[in-house]
Amino acid sequence: MTESVHHIVIVGGGTAGWLTAGIIAARHKSRIQSGRFSVTLVESPNISIVGVGEGTWPTLRGTLEKIGVSETDFFRECDAAFKQGAKFAKWTTGTDDDYYYHPLMFPQGFTQQNLAPHWLRDGGGRSFCDAVSPQGQLCEAGLAPKMITTPEYQAVANYAYHLDAGKFAPFLMRHCTQKLGVRHVLADVTGVNQAGNGDIISVSTEQAGEVAGDLFVDCTGFHALLLGKALGVPFRDCSDVLFCDTALAVQVPFDEEDAPLASHTHSTALKAGWVWDIALPTRRGLGYVYSSRHTSEEAAHEELAAYVGPKFKDLKVRKIPIRSGHRETFWKNNCVAVGLAAGFLEPLEASAIVLIELSAKLIAEQMPANRQVMDIIARRFNETTLYRWGRIIDFLKLHYTLTQRTDTAFWRDNCDPATIPERLQNLMTLWTYQSPWFFDEFDRLEEVFPAASYQYVLYGMGFKTEVEDDEAADAVRARRLMGENLALTQRLRSQLPKNRDLIRKIHDFGLQPV
Amino acid sequence: MPHIAILNRDAHHDLRVRPHGVNQPEDRMHFVPVVVGEFGHLVTHYPILFAKDAETGAFFAGAMLGFEPGENLFAAEPPSRDVYRPLNLQRVPFFTSGDNIAIDLDSPRVGTHADGQGLFDETGGPSPYLQGIMGVFQQLVPGLERTRAFIARLLQLRLIEPVTFDLTFDDGRTITTDGLYTIDQDALRGLPDEAALALFRDGSLHLMSLMIASLKQVPQLARRKNDQLTQGFSGLSGAFG
Ligand SMILES: Cc1cc2nc3c(=O)[nH]c(=O)nc-3n(C[C@H](O)[C@H](O)[C@H](O)COP(=O)(O)OP(=O)(O)OC[C@H]3O[C@@H](n4cnc5c(N)ncnc54)[C@H](O)[C@@H]3O)c2cc1C
Repeated sequence: MTESVHHIVIVGGGTAGWLTAGIIAARHKSRIQSGRFSVTLVESPNISIVGVGEGTWPTLRGTLEKIGVSETDFFRECDAAFKQGAKFAKWTTGTDDDYYYHPLMFPQGFTQQNLAPHWLRDGGGRSFCDAVSPQGQLCEAGLAPKMITTPEYQAVANYAYHLDAGKFAPFLMRHCTQKLGVRHVLADVTGVNQAGNGDIISVSTEQAGEVAGDLFVDCTGFHALLLGKALGVPFRDCSDVLFCDTALAVQVPFDEEDAPLASHTHSTALKAGWVWDIALPTRRGLGYVYSSRHTSEEAAHEELAAYVGPKFKDLKVRKIPIRSGHRETFWKNNCVAVGLAAGFLEPLEASAIVLIELSAKLIAEQMPANRQVMDIIARRFNETTLYRWGRIIDFLKLHYTLTQRTDTAFWRDNCDPATIPERLQNLMTLWTYQSPWFFDEFDRLEEVFPAASYQYVLYGMGFKTEVEDDEAADAVRARRLMGENLALTQRLRSQLPKNRDLIRKIHDFGLQPV
Repeated sequence: MPHIAILNRDAHHDLRVRPHGVNQPEDRMHFVPVVVGEFGHLVTHYPILFAKDAETGAFFAGAMLGFEPGENLFAAEPPSRDVYRPLNLQRVPFFTSGDNIAIDLDSPRVGTHADGQGLFDETGGPSPYLQGIMGVFQQLVPGLERTRAFIARLLQLRLIEPVTFDLTFDDGRTITTDGLYTIDQDALRGLPDEAALALFRDGSLHLMSLMIASLKQVPQLARRKNDQLTQGFSGLSGAFG
């Protein structure tokens, strides 16, 4: 006897829960319509969602399009804005003129040739980002990544979004329940009922009785109610690598309604961590992510106040404890965790939502036909997901290990080799002699951070790779590609509208579907 | 800012408007907004396509008179009855303002030229010329709304797709058009019966057929351009030869 997998129960209605519901329901739309498959989302009416998490990755464009959301509606209803990358300030030396960009466009001609060695030899006085991509310049000029005539989800310059997390989950909820046939149960889960082999049969709720299913997705956030509490999968702490354990978050109004709107995330290093600063059309959302082992809450408050300026005294500060790490496995028995229930890493590169998308997509695409094959899929899912968490940890740590700052114990401790994962240490040794590109370790089909991201951070932070002379033909091509990049930069700078202007137009007129 | 005034029989009794063909800006438009009611007339001369308004991104329907900004391949045509002029060219230099007709007093066509058309007759009623203009607006104003509805319907059913034309002319020049859209014929064929029938009943299917048929005017238009280019050449070589 094979037990078919037909009924999916998602517990939790934050960004993770609703994105997972949308991705699974859109992928299995016709089976849902014909009544052979169901997606049910159970969510507590009393426990609020975490409601932060406003920076995303360009994958979200494809995800929203796939689940059938109109990009215009998304902009209007989620207070969304464009994000073309991140600007890291004061990470390398801590001086006022210290910054670099991690943009979302690949270096010019990236699939043909690695421009990094050429730039290292002869960068023409430009930063790595400016030598190979227009996007840092577009961000500096406050330009949008597309025009009002560019169709929904298409880009002139690659982009992701900034969004209001408090509006995003309800927006997805409306779409999932109205368009994709997802069942919504508002109830508190009070118990998890398991079979002898540990499989979850149902969850008991206070308001809606028992909800049974074949596959359970744990999206209960930091509670990790199913995978953590019921199935007892341990948490693997990684605060020995990534030290930040507290966030102080505030929302800052604009001085005037039509103030320029940045199209990138600002990330500014402070004494014991860093501040994220994300501009939405109606307000900025920002927060100090710091290590409580390296500073006190009062001192952190003061640093954040100095960053925000005089307005700070009127703002409500929200303190969010965070714990870096992830579950040892993510899929056990018939339960898989997605989102904060699976783990959390400081939001330095906005990796949480992208990981939610990738995990949900993997579940949707590999939806086990029956309980018998589920373990095979679970094993694969765990292997891939564990790999992804490891790569994200390495990539985040890279930002810290490249610093030249020694002004506080936080920065000094971060460079202590004992805190740097061995794999990352090996990579740094390797990159001293050859720069990351294709054929490097991380070239899986769906890598969270591709080699290009490593290049932008390494060379943005002044890392030196020893390079020999180019093959003559490569040198010619590299010069041509860099010339093309400069021409493209100029063209886009004159063509693209201001970020705020385009967002206003999207509100007024909408983007066209084609 | 052009000086636009609501038409008034006392103030504008002596005004005269020159007919088209005197090389005004509107005679150099290469893509003229049109309304669905004209499609049947347009199809015999012009490709009918969609483009996007640069300010709003909104789709509009237009007749293609040339391949590049500033190029109207029909401008040299002697005004004869067999080349239909889109209503938006016929109406120049008039506009509507609410329910009234307004006139662009700064238009070089407007003045007291002896060769112009008067707007009012002796009794103060509209002249036959002005009656003609009023007729144009009677088609244009409700036509705009119908055209918008037609486009909204196509977008909703995802029946619009981008199209590019790659053209090579005898003088070696190549043009690749940009920003043009037409009917997605595959999507149209893939519609469920019910939707197709509804499009037939409300007249949209007919309009789409006219747009599809009008694509045959692209090579014709290209030939027109080619003729003008090569005539220019032979004229030149004649001068030297
Ligand atoms: C300070 C901070 C900054 C961040 N910045 C970013 C960023 O820039 N980019 C990014 O990608 N991510 C960021 N994140 C992460 C991001 O916020 C989360 O990944 C995302 O919001 C997903 O959360 P979630 O849905 O897993 O959990 P939550 O939003 O916490 O949702 C949990 C859900 O579970 C339900 N629930 C809990 N217990 C029960 C119960 N007993 N019964 C029924 N339902 C229950 C709750 O009602 C709720 O609906 C940040 C996180 C923090 C803390």
